[in-house]
Amino acid sequence: MGEMAILNVGEGDLKLSFDPANPMEQIQAGKTVTDMLRRGYALFVEVGQTDEGQPKYARVYQFDEEKREYIIAGDGVDNTPSEEEPPMYDGDEGGTPEPKRKRGRPTTRVKAEDAKGVGVARTAGG
Amino acid sequence: MPEQQEVEVAELPCNPDGTISHRTVREWLKLVAQAKGEVCGIPMPIEGQKLVVEPSHPMAETLALLLNAPAPEDPDDKKWTLVNQWWSRGKGAYVYVWDYEGTRMAFKRYKPHSLKQQLETLGCSHVWGLEQEGNALKLLSEMLRPHNFNQYVMTGMFLERSEKSGVTYLFRRLRPTLACTATKDDDMKMIAALCMHPIAYYQGTWAGAMCPTDDVIAHLAMMRGDEHMFWKRCNQHSPLVPEAGL
Repeated sequence: MGEMAILNVGEGDLKLSFDPANPMEQIQAGKTVTDMLRRGYALFVEVGQTDEGQPKYARVYQFDEEKREYIIAGDGVDNTPSEEEPPMYDGDEGGTPEPKRKRGRPTTRVKAEDAKGVGVARTAGG
Repeated sequence: MPEQQEVEVAELPCNPDGTISHRTVREWLKLVAQAKGEVCGIPMPIEGQKLVVEPSHPMAETLALLLNAPAPEDPDDKKWTLVNQWWSRGKGAYVYVWDYEGTRMAFKRYKPHSLKQQLETLGCSHVWGLEQEGNALKLLSEMLRPHNFNQYVMTGMFLERSEKSGVTYLFRRLRPTLACTATKDDDMKMIAALCMHPIAYYQGTWAGAMCPTDDVIAHLAMMRGDEHMFWKRCNQHSPLVPEAGL
């Protein structure tokens, strides 16, 4: 069963589960993922393992609520922040949006019900 | 925003002397966050520490004002302008150059060690609960190989080398992550101390609003998933300054 663990102040982490046996839960989780991406959360899903047995992660740029699939980095993904997004707060004054990727290879998709992931809120600084 | 729920908040239990424990406040904030549908939670302000909240958090302004009321404005303050500041390794101090109505003055703030910062970090420990730290440790155990997790539990740190950049990271609990690179003499050279807290942190400490292991997980996930963004979001301290925690 796919899970997205959102790092949370009060609980350690809040699990969003994509249980195929529970469609309502899947729909709600999908809406939450879309909302988090819109708000600038950084979501990462496990996409395999390295030769040394460590999990490999890829950043999620979009979420297909209909198919319940994460769209991870790849050509053809437009990951330029939308105008509705709050100002970027990446440590740069004024924020610099990610460069628009060129169209070419098809996007890479990962089914939410098969993937484990971690979600991190925006940065306060350090 | 996720669907908001109505949650019954019971009357807060008080201590016999009428005070409310940090645990109670933590549980109450958890309920409020659930009711508001705020997935990352609400950081807890504590007396004596300035809470710095990520600006787009829905409660950023409210939390910033709680216990951190702005000092009354002094008209004389506007005549001062900070020109430059830097860490002087030789002096063991931060040096500040100020301009007061055209006259430049330099001031030193000695900081030979990080004891004060360590004690203030200790003072923030009651915003975290054992349950939250336990959940975070469980999640971290799923992200690491067994011997790396063992290292973390025993020493509070572990190493991981990035396949993409070749940089080796020393992830540490309650300290900035150290980025190192191998030199020609088979030695390690420190590039930077990377400090970053999602959601919120307490100024002048190494404490974030999330429990310590959650901060480590955030660093690890970002480094693995988008190393470029990880560096961009971190405050990059020189390894020589006390804030690097060395």
